[in-house]
Amino acid sequence: MIRLTNVHKQLGGRKILDGLSLEVEEGETLVILGRSGTGKSVTLRHVIGLLTPDSGQIEVLGEEISQHRPENLRTVRRRIGYLFQDGALLDWLNISDNIGLPLRERREHSEKEIVDRIEEVLAEVELDGHALKLPSEISGGMRKRAGLARALVCHPEIMLHDEPTSGLDPISSSVINRLIMKLKGMGITQMVVTHDMGSAFEVADRIALLHQGTVRALGTSDEIRQSTDPAVQQFIHGKVDGPLAREIREDPDSSNNNESEES
Amino acid sequence: MSGWISGLGAFLGRSAETTGYGLVLLGRTLFHLPHLLTRRRIRDTLDLCYTYCTGSFTVTAVVALFTGMILALNSGLSLQELGQEALIGRIVAVSLIREMGPFMTALILTASIGSGIAAELGTMKVSEEIDALRIMSISPVRFLILPRMVALTLVTPVLTIFAGLIGILGGMFVAYFQLGVGWMAFQNDGLEVLTQKDVFTGLFKSVVFGVTIATVGCTQGLLTRGGATGVGQAARRAVVVTFLLVIIMGYYITWAVLT
Ligand SMILES: Nc1ncnc2c1ncn2[C@@H]1O[C@H](COP(=O)(O)OP(=O)(O)OP(=O)(O)O)[C@@H](O)[C@H]1O
Ligand SMILES: [Mg+2]
Repeated sequence: MIRLTNVHKQLGGRKILDGLSLEVEEGETLVILGRSGTGKSVTLRHVIGLLTPDSGQIEVLGEEISQHRPENLRTVRRRIGYLFQDGALLDWLNISDNIGLPLRERREHSEKEIVDRIEEVLAEVELDGHALKLPSEISGGMRKRAGLARALVCHPEIMLHDEPTSGLDPISSSVINRLIMKLKGMGITQMVVTHDMGSAFEVADRIALLHQGTVRALGTSDEIRQSTDPAVQQFIHGKVDGPLAREIREDPDSSNNNESEES
Repeated sequence: MSGWISGLGAFLGRSAETTGYGLVLLGRTLFHLPHLLTRRRIRDTLDLCYTYCTGSFTVTAVVALFTGMILALNSGLSLQELGQEALIGRIVAVSLIREMGPFMTALILTASIGSGIAAELGTMKVSEEIDALRIMSISPVRFLILPRMVALTLVTPVLTIFAGLIGILGGMFVAYFQLGVGWMAFQNDGLEVLTQKDVFTGLFKSVVFGVTIATVGCTQGLLTRGGATGVGQAARRAVVVTFLLVIIMGYYITWAVLT
C-alpha cells in the first residue's frame, strides 16, 4: 500500500532521511515515533509527494510516485487524506467552507450532498456547533479537528496524521484516538506521527521508531514495549540519558525545529 | 573583498531565480485563465476587486487631488511670469493622464495591496496552507494567484482613471481660485488638447503596472521561507522590487510612445 525503499533526503544541507525503508500494509495503522526533528513530518510529506526524495523509491497505492510531476500526483492524492500539524485551514473561510473546499473544488457533487457530508464529518470530530466560525475564532485543538474533518471529507483510502493529538486536552485526544480506531475499523490505511505514547500504543498495529534518518526499531505495540533496544526503552519512558540523548549533544541542530513536544 | 563579491554573486543568483519564478508564475496564470470562468472564481475575483478598490480609494483620491493641485500651482506660477497661465490646463491634464496618474496609483497600490498580497500568501506558505491546497489537488495558481492577478489588473486602470480625473479637478481648483484661470479656459486648453494617444498610453501603463504589482506580490509571497520574519521580508521585497520595476518600465513605455 505504502512502501518507502532506501529513501535519502537532504534539507538545508543536512541529511534528514538516510536510507529510510518502511512499509505499511493495506488496512494497517503504523505509528511513527521519534524525537523532534528526526524527519517524521518529512517522511509523511514524501508519501504525499510534497517532497521528492534525492534517491530511493516511494510506492503509494501501487504507483511509484517519487518521480511524478504534480499533474500525475493528482490521482494518487485524491485517495489520500493528510492532517497537518497545525490544521492548515484557510483563515478567510469558515469551518464549514474549509471542510467543504475539496469537495466543492472537485465539482462532482451537488451542493446538497456536500452540505450533508460536511455535517457528517463535523459530527464525527465533534465540532457540530462551530460550523460557521472562522478558524481564528476557535482553539488550536478545534482547528486540528477541523483539519482532520477536511482530510476525511473525501473518503480517503489512506490517512496520514501529523501529530493528531498534540495540543489537545485529554478528552479531545480520546475523541481523535477513537476516530483513528474507527477509520481503522473501516479498513483505511493510516500512518500516525505522534509524541503521545498512550495514543501510540492504543491505535497502532505496528510502531516504528525513527532515529538518525532510518528506522531504529519496528514492531507491534507489545514487541516495542518489550524491546531490549536501549533507544526504544529510553524513548517510550522519556528518559533523559541514553543513546537518543547522546545524538542531540553531538548534533545540536537536530532538535531546533519545533517546540518540544516530548512525552 | 571576496566576501563582498560572493555576496553580490549570491544576490544576483537569487534575483535571477526570483525573476524566473515570477515569469513562470505569470505564464502559468495566463494558462489557467480559462478557469476563471466558474462561478466561484468569478465571485472570488469580484470580492477581491471590491476589497482592493475600497482599500485604496480614499488614499488615491487624496493623493491625486493634491498632486493635481501641486502640479497646477507649480507650473501655473512659472507660466504666470511668462503670461502663459492659460496653458496650465494642458500641462496638468497631459502630465496627469500620461505620467503621474498611472505612476502614483501604482505606488499606492504597491504599498497597500501588493505588500498585502505578499504577506498574505507568505503567511499561507509558512503555515502550510499552500501545501494543504496542493494535497487537496487544488492548484494554488488557479485558486489564489489567478483571482489576485485578474483583480489587480482590472482595478489598477479603473483607479488610474479615477486618480486622473480627481487630479485634474484639483488642478482646476487651484487654477481658478489662485491663478484666476477660468473653468472654460482650463477645459478648452486642457481636456481638448488631450489626445487619444495620451489616454491610451496612461491606460496601457496602468495595466502593465497592475500585472507587475500582482506578479511581484504573488512571487514574493510564494517564495516566503521561515516564519514571521520571512513574511515581513516578503512584503518589504515586494514593495521595493515593484517600485523599481514601475519606475523603470514607466520610463521605457513613455520613451517608446514618444519616439
Ligand atoms: N523545507 C525544509 N528546509 C530545510 N530544512 C527542513 C525543511 N523541512 C524540514 N527541515 C528540517 O528537517 C528536520 C526534520 O523535520 P521534521 O519536520 O520532519 O521533524 P519532525 O520529526 O516532524 O519533528 P516534530 O516532532 O518536531 O514535528 C528538521 O531538523 C528541520 O529543520
Ligand atoms: Mg513534525
